[in-house]
Amino acid sequence: MTVEVSRIYLLDVATGASIDAELRDGIEQEQLDDWRTKWQPALAVVLQELAGRGVPISQWPQSWHWNWDQKSARVQGLLSYRGLCVVAQGETQGLAQIDLTKSCQESRQAGRPLVYLDYLEVAPWNRREIQRPTRFRGVGTALLSAAVQLSLDEGFKGRLGLHSLPQADDFYRGMGMTDLGPDSNYQGLRYFEMTADHARAFLDEED
Amino acid sequence: MAAKRTMTLNLTDAEMQALDELSVRKDITKTAVLRQALRLYQTIDARVERGEKLLFENEETKEKAELMLL
Repeated sequence: MTVEVSRIYLLDVATGASIDAELRDGIEQEQLDDWRTKWQPALAVVLQELAGRGVPISQWPQSWHWNWDQKSARVQGLLSYRGLCVVAQGETQGLAQIDLTKSCQESRQAGRPLVYLDYLEVAPWNRREIQRPTRFRGVGTALLSAAVQLSLDEGFKGRLGLHSLPQADDFYRGMGMTDLGPDSNYQGLRYFEMTADHARAFLDEED
Repeated sequence: MAAKRTMTLNLTDAEMQALDELSVRKDITKTAVLRQALRLYQTIDARVERGEKLLFENEETKEKAELMLL
């Protein structure tokens, strides 16, 4: 499969400068290698420090146990699943996996297909709850924008859904998504949905 | 977006009507309906090949029915 690459810009927090980055519509071995050899060691340092201070696991970065090797292997070769990543300065800065088999729950668009954002994670050094100041800002928003764009490209009119980890609830509310509340079928995580109107407003704001 | 290739599809009136109705009900183009159908078929087939079953459950009665795939 050929991965398409688009140019995007991230904010370098230390210098305030805008830097070139790549948005890629696939997760390749290079990204999995970065996750294993760069993200995991950086996260391990943080987790060790949290454990040392006796911080309860419930307050750890909530995606700490995610395994991108396994997530990618599970959907290898299936048309229903897509990967996205952001690469800057030769390193993977964010990863996302999308499921195209799900339908809307919001009453105005119930039953219509949407882009379901199964997983979205940014590198530990770009997460404010782990590192301050972060290295780059804009990685999560770039991945979310790409998912909305995929929804448009697939003819789903920008409709998008996701279950949010509690630490990310405010991020998705801030994006103007509808909060449909905790989902008892999905570990009680809150389900958020973007309507076609939300999607248009969101992309206009990003331009 | 990935490059696409074009193919001609011959459908009966009944098939075309079903496609039209799904397109309206799901608010997607007819092409999107067919692409969605292919994705779902491939996903289900892969899971059945792994030894899983496709079941429908009635939310009220909890009655389950297995869908047999060819």
